[in-house]
Amino acid sequence: MKNFDYLEPTTVAEACSLLQRHAGEAKVFAGGTHVTILMKQGLFEPKALVNIKNIQDLKGVRYDSAEGLIIGALTTHRELETSALVKEKFPILCEAEREVANIRVRNMGTVGGNLASGEPLTDLSQIFIALDGEARIVGPNGARTIAVEELFRDFYTTSLAEDEIITHVVAPPCRPRSGIEYMRFSSSSVVDKPSVGVAVRLTLEERKDSIENARIVLGCVGPTPVRARKAEEALTGKNVSAELAAEAGKIAAQECKPTDDLRGSEQYKRAIVGTLVKRAALKAYERVLGNG
Amino acid sequence: MKKAISLKVNGLERSAEVEPRLTLLDLVREQFGLTGAKLGCDIQVCGACTLLLDGKPVSACSFLAVDADGCEVLTVEGLSANGKLHPLQDAFMEFGALQCGYCTSGFILSAKALLDECVQPSEQQIRDYLAGNFCRCGCYQEIVQAIKNVAGKS
Repeated sequence: MKNFDYLEPTTVAEACSLLQRHAGEAKVFAGGTHVTILMKQGLFEPKALVNIKNIQDLKGVRYDSAEGLIIGALTTHRELETSALVKEKFPILCEAEREVANIRVRNMGTVGGNLASGEPLTDLSQIFIALDGEARIVGPNGARTIAVEELFRDFYTTSLAEDEIITHVVAPPCRPRSGIEYMRFSSSSVVDKPSVGVAVRLTLEERKDSIENARIVLGCVGPTPVRARKAEEALTGKNVSAELAAEAGKIAAQECKPTDDLRGSEQYKRAIVGTLVKRAALKAYERVLGNG
Repeated sequence: MKKAISLKVNGLERSAEVEPRLTLLDLVREQFGLTGAKLGCDIQVCGACTLLLDGKPVSACSFLAVDADGCEVLTVEGLSANGKLHPLQDAFMEFGALQCGYCTSGFILSAKALLDECVQPSEQQIRDYLAGNFCRCGCYQEIVQAIKNVAGKS
């Protein structure tokens, strides 16, 4: 690893101004699980790391009945996994976190860093997109909020400017008659990055059992997580059945761009997408009915 | 530019002048002479470099030493006291939970963190918690047995 300056701001404004001053030659540093690997491999050679871990505003998880679950960007995977509040409001996040990487990475890696890395082999981003989650971002010119979906642009590339920081990730309050499921598939060991990760959320009509609104989010099968919009449309207005779920899976399998790699061939991953979408849709439906 | 850091290592106050690029693993191995933790995969997958930082397992290969300023670090050398091995160390020997020993300090420290968190973990909890520690000699059964044995006694 090449040497660099190690800067330790204590406010978001100070961090942004340090990033701005280094004009693209500084990297935000929090858990470090992503950045240190890329630096050791020579893929990043920043002149400075801006350690944001001393910024208190970025810590903690709280719930607001209007805004939803507000997760500070510095919240570690392990904190999310073990938080009683998260378990009460969005248990899917705790369940998914149990399978993220390994205990050491979960102890250090942060939710904000996970999203900001633009890592395509991910779990959390699919879930946040399925929940219509938002990322709160601050830069030298002020704050903005975007859908988590809008964050991802390409492999390891996000819509964050060089001097911007994700401060919070927000999951809006659960809509009534909703259920969500996340399923991941690893082709080697359980601690490997997923070869496919699928989140499905279903919201039923108030007085009928037909689907008012569906989110099907596919991860690891393209440069960014993607919504399978045609598969979502195929579900909308219909009643859930095994056949319908299988049909949505078939459509979703064609709405992604998996590549052949050590975690499976393109064809194999498409087949897994189809199966996981089907299973996750049925499980999400069970959860709406309160049986999940 | 070097930075002065101070931290507690195995209960002793230590200080060092480090370049920001120095990893915690290189600090403890090369400057403090504590070589129990090993460099394995170098990408936080194998667990050979596991250390406990404020009681929690971390991959020291990918943790910057500057980032450990003010923290408490436990290495495998800090487990025994007054010439007596830690119960996990005894159990690993009793159950033959190692062959080459390269992964052992990582397994023992991870197991300690687990038992500190949860006094009586189930076998599944042990396997889940240790899923990120690899033993290429394949002593997993014996490792789980050793940890279960210690958990049963406390």
